[in-house]
Amino acid sequence: MVAGLWLVALPGGRVPSVEHTFLATTEAAEEAEGAMCTMPDAGDQQIAIPTRSDAEGGDLPPVRMVVDPYPSFNGVAVDTTNDLVMMSDTNRKSLLIYDRTAGSAASKQASTAKQHIMGPDTGVGFVAGVAMDPAHRELFTVNNDVEDRLVAFDYDARGNVTPKRLLYVPHQSWGIAFAPKRDVMALSVQTPNMYVVFKREAKKFDAPIRSVRGPKTAMADPHGIYFDETHNEVVVANHGNFRPGELITSYTAYDARESRQERSGNAFDESARGRFVPSSITVYDGDATGDVAPLRTIQGPTSQIDWPMGVAVDEVSNEIVVANNGDNSILIFSRTANGDVQPKRVIRGPLTGIRGPMGVAIAKDEIWVANFGDHTALVFPRLAGGNVAPRRILRNAPAGKETSGFGNPYAVAYDTKRREVLVPN
Amino acid sequence: MTHLSRTTHGIAYDSTHDEIVAPNPLAAAIVIFRGGAIGEEAPIRTIQGARSGLSRPETVAVDEKNNELFVGDPGDRRVLVYRRDADGDAKPLRTIQGPKTKLLQVVGIAVDPNRDLLVVSTYSRLPGGVTGLLVFGRTDEGDVAPRRMIAGPRSGITRLRQIALDPETGKIYAAVINNEYLPPYDIDRPRRGLDPNVELPSPWNTGTEGFIGVWDDEKDDGDAPPRSIIKGRSTGIVHPAGVTFNARDGEVIAPDAVWNGLFTFLKPELFARPGPPDGGRHGIPVQ
Repeated sequence: MVAGLWLVALPGGRVPSVEHTFLATTEAAEEAEGAMCTMPDAGDQQIAIPTRSDAEGGDLPPVRMVVDPYPSFNGVAVDTTNDLVMMSDTNRKSLLIYDRTAGSAASKQASTAKQHIMGPDTGVGFVAGVAMDPAHRELFTVNNDVEDRLVAFDYDARGNVTPKRLLYVPHQSWGIAFAPKRDVMALSVQTPNMYVVFKREAKKFDAPIRSVRGPKTAMADPHGIYFDETHNEVVVANHGNFRPGELITSYTAYDARESRQERSGNAFDESARGRFVPSSITVYDGDATGDVAPLRTIQGPTSQIDWPMGVAVDEVSNEIVVANNGDNSILIFSRTANGDVQPKRVIRGPLTGIRGPMGVAIAKDEIWVANFGDHTALVFPRLAGGNVAPRRILRNAPAGKETSGFGNPYAVAYDTKRREVLVPN
Repeated sequence: MTHLSRTTHGIAYDSTHDEIVAPNPLAAAIVIFRGGAIGEEAPIRTIQGARSGLSRPETVAVDEKNNELFVGDPGDRRVLVYRRDADGDAKPLRTIQGPKTKLLQVVGIAVDPNRDLLVVSTYSRLPGGVTGLLVFGRTDEGDVAPRRMIAGPRSGITRLRQIALDPETGKIYAAVINNEYLPPYDIDRPRRGLDPNVELPSPWNTGTEGFIGVWDDEKDDGDAPPRSIIKGRSTGIVHPAGVTFNARDGEVIAPDAVWNGLFTFLKPELFARPGPPDGGRHGIPVQ
């Protein structure tokens, strides 16, 4: 499972800062392929592993470590005006911008990003959704956990840059839906089962101009979100984890303002409990606010929806495209589909290369898929279906490099029977 | 099908029954899988429902000796104890909850069946609140005060997460994450009272490095420094949020959220049996 050990030293023997080390890891992976790889790979020369650590003083090197030095794609957005594509990178905490036509069907090497935004000054951390605004030449990304902020950059930003604007957002925001005609952004938020709408230029503690949340909305652990301005609708992808409002204090409750005790005393409602509902796609009026029912819901076994992550609407061809993470597929529905309906097309199978799809986007008759389970983004013709190979593969690591699959790991257990380490995300 | 969420902050492995236990805070559930589960596999048992009392379970531990399952639930600031094989809308056998308990943001739980102790990690910003380790009796119930509390500046703990416990030695392993985090929102509104010009700390790296600290579940009390520590730039860890151990090979294992990585350290001296004459205390002060 584990492959090596590395240390980065600065000239003069100075101890590198955490930020320096973190950046150096990724840069070295990009520039000196194989030299610092810490993921398992049969073709790599193994770095010597010490037989024991120095037990004195506590500042001891690990005997093994699993760190993936390459990016892992998550959100994806395409700018057809300037022929650019931007993806968020959960693993190394960065944004990568490529030519829209980068990659190829036979590509084995990593494509070179035109811009790479990364570093402690960027505010980019456990990052998820992305958006591009070519009219105002701004790039957006939102942090899903811990950092609780959306950051906006100039179109030409690169490196460890300070964001042009910073907007604090609700904990566990995940998707960004940019609506350029309205000049607003809608963010999906997991725990409160809601989406909130901000003005594009909102900053710091500016409040949302509206939110959609409550039992009628039927949202349950929402992730992907898309604002269809042509038809004035907002489309949301739901995993299906649900708790009623009575249980939803702020997720990180640890002071007096946030607990159920302070809200209602110790006589709170013990009958309010969580439940699982089937994964779904819910569609709302574009002007919805408060606790409103969806206009349409796609849900049920025929739909095949299973842990949907990103969602996008082809506003011209009237189709909804879903990154179906649960079974490594892309589902394409009619835009007006409702109920437990069959997808119009499904892209699934070993030829597709789809592994842990997170982000999805549609542009210029192509479907973009950001893979979390592989170091790739895949591009399919819009009408692709079945077990088909992608038209282009854009790699952020050489072909064959495994991903760790880590996403902000906060717990671990050891399986003594199989001698395996269990890490949930 | 797995009924897991993308927000899983706890996990336990039951070696006796070869099962994996995980909380799902977003659906107020505990899901139990067979030990060899792979891919999109359904849990073999699920605890969820009104009788279960689950609100936002964050952390779990299995008492394999007494056949009990312990759950830390900060949503209602309590510890819930179930039969190990509880399934469905099962009522807890016992609950620890109330102002005397000092339970608040419960993020780690571990049980020592050999010494009949229960250890909980919790943090708080409330006046008089505790950020540290609370030691209860294993069978404690109701609004009961912890027997001992390990907290204070010498402990080095400013924020902590998962804990693990080795019943053979009584050692508590704590992931002392020590990052700074102030949530800016109350559901869908920015918090009232925040200075509009304040720059909230980014927990990406706060300058206060976290560490893995080791304490003794019977001997340590109050503002006690860790008996052993894994901390510093050579370790690679910055803000460790989880910890476990492999006693057979003398290893301590910790994931780090900043690195998105998993680090294994060789510390065979921690697993030596019996302990040294002085109880193993080295009194390592935390810098």
